[in-house]
Amino acid sequence: MRRLLTNKWFITAISTLIVVAVIILGSFPGSPVNKVLKPVGAIANPVASFVNNVGNSISDFWVAVTDGMAIRKNNEELRAEIASLQYQLNMMEEAAIRYEELQEAFHIRETFSNYDIFGASVLSREADEWFSVIRVGVGNSDNIYLDSGESLAVVDVRMNLIGRVIEINEDDSKILPLLHEGFTVSGKVNEVNGATMIVSGDAMLKLQGLCLVTGIDPEVIPEPGDVIVTSGDGGLFPQGIPIGVIVDVDISDPLNITATLRPYSDIADLSDVFIMVPFNEEPDVVDP
Amino acid sequence: MKNQTLLIRKIVVYTIYILVFTTFQVTFRGLFSLQGLYPDLMFVFVVLTAYMFGFKDGMIVGSLVGVLRDYFAGPSITGIDGTVTATTGIGLLVMILAASYGSSFFTIRIKRNFPMAFSSVVTATLFYKIIGHLVVFTWENAFLHHEYNIGLENALMFSILPQTLLNMIIAIPVYLALRFIGPYHKGVNPALIDEKSREDNLWLTM
Repeated sequence: MRRLLTNKWFITAISTLIVVAVIILGSFPGSPVNKVLKPVGAIANPVASFVNNVGNSISDFWVAVTDGMAIRKNNEELRAEIASLQYQLNMMEEAAIRYEELQEAFHIRETFSNYDIFGASVLSREADEWFSVIRVGVGNSDNIYLDSGESLAVVDVRMNLIGRVIEINEDDSKILPLLHEGFTVSGKVNEVNGATMIVSGDAMLKLQGLCLVTGIDPEVIPEPGDVIVTSGDGGLFPQGIPIGVIVDVDISDPLNITATLRPYSDIADLSDVFIMVPFNEEPDVVDP
Repeated sequence: MKNQTLLIRKIVVYTIYILVFTTFQVTFRGLFSLQGLYPDLMFVFVVLTAYMFGFKDGMIVGSLVGVLRDYFAGPSITGIDGTVTATTGIGLLVMILAASYGSSFFTIRIKRNFPMAFSSVVTATLFYKIIGHLVVFTWENAFLHHEYNIGLENALMFSILPQTLLNMIIAIPVYLALRFIGPYHKGVNPALIDEKSREDNLWLTM
């Protein structure tokens, strides 16, 4: 018996069965299994932030050092001072970029006046093509909640669509990216009375960083270069959020015209995102 | 006293590896990519740990890395009703199986060495990607009645082979770190030497 319990294949089989049971239990709505990982964040989040900060510092420092080496060839005496100044300059440029991003974020708020905009840092990105959820640092503690059947749009600093919120925890939220096969949004060509269509993720196109466009009206076929924005149909997403640009149209089947779209947003470059939460306007109470 | 020091060193080194490798993979995505794919540092780390230091180390490290993988980037799955939900546990399952595979990869008759460690990463990645595509294909076609439109050729060219190549490359620094920095002195787990003398007939020369 002891030999069986220490056999690695037996342990592997039992572990697999237990984890599969956990996965199945966790798939039910409201399952407490999904909250089991919450304490992990107490350790993992600070480490992730630390690694991120260290990486950024090393990157800035590396740029400064390489620039300094070039300067050293020309002027040995001023090398240290120039390297130091260059480092400071890089930091300033970074600060200036952040300032511009924040300015644009305020522009988002002006454009979508019926929405609250919650800024959040990207905590972690996808791990591979299947482990593709993005975590951001805003949650219930920031007064954001996700009701059943509701969907919150997530945009980048230039107001381009990134994805939608699928889960909100106490301190963080999970975002389904635009390229994921499960993502679907109603879009339209960005012009007056532009043709509407369905933009969705696709297993094959995802590998090329593209989305699939279906539901195209044969009478109004988009052309490569057309800009697609959210149509607002369905009421989940506001109208007018830029999604991407049409790169190719397939009209080989007149009954099923499809197109491919290259999203504007690039998840690899994201550091901050903005979640758009519609106002919950309470009706005026009229005394009888 | 010496054993206790070694144990503490092992725990500290493993903890640092686990936290750094997992957070690095989900933080610095833009540094090193091929056709939109990135090296799977967590997966490579677990396979190599299991291959080099045995089943017990592999399962413990794999479980912890799996939990962190689920926490940081758990996969989202489209349910039968069309609702997309974030899941918990799939990362853990993948890492447990990877550890089990890594600890069993030709460890009975062949010396644990760099070429075989490299081979374990390559074959484990191939199995992971192929089985992953088969699972998604089965789920999409049998339950969601969608067409999983990645053909065999596209899966090979755009997913399986690039990921294998990336994992091969990242395996080199991970192997060197495990071999020369720790968690064990000279990259050899003494417990495996004891196992060899008892029953498993493992060859342990690094």
